[in-house]
Amino acid sequence: MVEAIEVELQSVSKFYGEDKVVDAVSLHVNQGEIFVLIGPSGCGKTTTLKMINQLIPHTSGRILVRGKDVTELDPVELRRSIGYVIQYIGLLPHLTIRDNITFVLQLKKYNKKMQRERAMELIETVGLPVSYLDRHPRELSGGQQQRVGVARALAADPEILLMDEPFGAVDPITREQLQLELLRLQETIKKTIIFVTHDMQEAFKVGDRIGIMRGGRLVTIGTAMDIVRERDEFIRNFIGQGAIFSALDTIPAARAIIDDLPIVQEGAALDDDVLSLTGDWENIFIVDGQRRCLGYISLSEIKGQRKIDREKVTACPPPCRPGDSLKKVIEEMLWGNRAWLPVVSEEGYFLGIVSFQSCASLLVG
Amino acid sequence: MLENIGLFFSYFWEIRAQVAELTLQHLWLSLAGVLLGTLTAVPLGIFISRRPKISSFVIDLAGALYTIPSLAILGFMLPFLGLGWLPTITALTIYSWLPVLRNTCTGIVNVDPAAKEAALGMGATSNQLLFRVELPMAFPVIMAGIRTVAVLTVGITTMGALVAAGGLGSLIFTGISMMDNRMILAGTIPVSALAVALDQLLGFLENKAGVWTGVRS
Ligand SMILES: Nc1ncnc2c1ncn2[C@@H]1O[C@H](COP(=O)(O)OP(=O)(O)OP(=O)(O)O)[C@@H](O)[C@H]1O
Ligand SMILES: [Mg+2]
Repeated sequence: MVEAIEVELQSVSKFYGEDKVVDAVSLHVNQGEIFVLIGPSGCGKTTTLKMINQLIPHTSGRILVRGKDVTELDPVELRRSIGYVIQYIGLLPHLTIRDNITFVLQLKKYNKKMQRERAMELIETVGLPVSYLDRHPRELSGGQQQRVGVARALAADPEILLMDEPFGAVDPITREQLQLELLRLQETIKKTIIFVTHDMQEAFKVGDRIGIMRGGRLVTIGTAMDIVRERDEFIRNFIGQGAIFSALDTIPAARAIIDDLPIVQEGAALDDDVLSLTGDWENIFIVDGQRRCLGYISLSEIKGQRKIDREKVTACPPPCRPGDSLKKVIEEMLWGNRAWLPVVSEEGYFLGIVSFQSCASLLVG
Repeated sequence: MLENIGLFFSYFWEIRAQVAELTLQHLWLSLAGVLLGTLTAVPLGIFISRRPKISSFVIDLAGALYTIPSLAILGFMLPFLGLGWLPTITALTIYSWLPVLRNTCTGIVNVDPAAKEAALGMGATSNQLLFRVELPMAFPVIMAGIRTVAVLTVGITTMGALVAAGGLGSLIFTGISMMDNRMILAGTIPVSALAVALDQLLGFLENKAGVWTGVRS
């Protein structure tokens, strides 16, 4: 299936006088994707974001939102159809949290009852107590205000969300919590999100794809795995060594599965086909009729026999799921003192194994 | 001393009807000046807040008018507006301009840019931005300007007596010419009371409006 492109920038530049603040940036964001823009301070992330909803007009290039050139759209309508979480939270201090959340709905003149219902719904969505609706922004902590900022952007149920360092003003623990909540929320709301940050860990954590900017240029675009494999010196310095561990957090075990293993069904005889698959692998896996893994037996135990001795079969280590992160898998291996783990689908099918080796070769490329 | 105070009160009681009438006259002159000044200066303040190039010029102009002595303004207007309430209210309006204009303009200009950007980013039109964000957020600053003007105006209204507009100034000026301290006091005390009362009233209204618009809780 070809994914629909929701937002597209074609060689977009922004000049302030002689200053080229954004330089020929091209990118596209697919429907339901979280695209992260990251780069050092002043590299043009916010400017790029604001050109999408035309808070800043671009100097050259084309910006398409749902296939339409933004310069041909009414800017007010365009902005009302795109949720926007601004860099400095920007809650309206004179309004209650309820009125802040429903601000777009008020602009669009929705009826009062609907506004009230939506405010209740959204405050819960972002994990704040309903009683906060009657408070004013100054009565909330920075992290709580950021949640309200997200709720406000979601009010009109826009398909596209622009989030400019939405979790910038909070401590690392709250930040991580907000990131996880965003990911959980995204599973149900499936928005197209452009997310600006200057925190690489955050980028790896939330980004389906990541674009790295430097001095107004987009220097690379790719998944977390693509990015950690980059050889470019600026990019390597920018992401930093520690970030690899955050990248591991975002790569699913499915990517590192070894599935060309010798597998036999319980009771069946070992044939040469199976044995030829062993290579330098010393175990053979035994599955039942439903392809559930019963255990494994090492080649040395078989000693040329064609029949497997049930007694000698060892049970598998606790399995992991294909959706588990590599980080989790590696932790399990280290914790359980294992060199590999079986991967089992939700339905219980044996899919293969992941090993330290397969994880490493994935990252090194 | 006590005797004097007693004498003053009995005098005051004697002329209470006259004082009441002059106070009412004073009040309406003052209110008309403040109202006209506010109604002209607030829109002008909004207008110049959008145009940084001319805003300081306009404010300086209002500042220059503000420094002209009140007697001089009344004198200048005499050939055009003659005597009575018209030149008085006109002068009061002119004096209201500077504080209200300046506070409206700076109040709007100083609204947190993040709040403005958030509103625009959510698709507020420029009118919606003005009425839902800028004016409510600048409201306390604008009100402070209006309150300053109110107190000031009650004082300046006294000068209206010199151009036959009436008001408590007539008691004061007659008192001065007759060197009658009781009469001067009978005019001065209600002026001060009026200024304080008007300021309190506006403060009360500001609070009410603040709760209503959400500026104060
Ligand atoms: N109105 C303006 N006039 C001139 N230069 C500007 C203007 N606005 C932004 N810039 C410049 O454009 C560059 C990019 O700004 P931008 O806000 O997009 O950076 P950013 O990547 O979002 O940085 P940060 O991470 O600090 O938020 C900066 O160097 C900034 O100085
Ligand atoms: Mg920025």
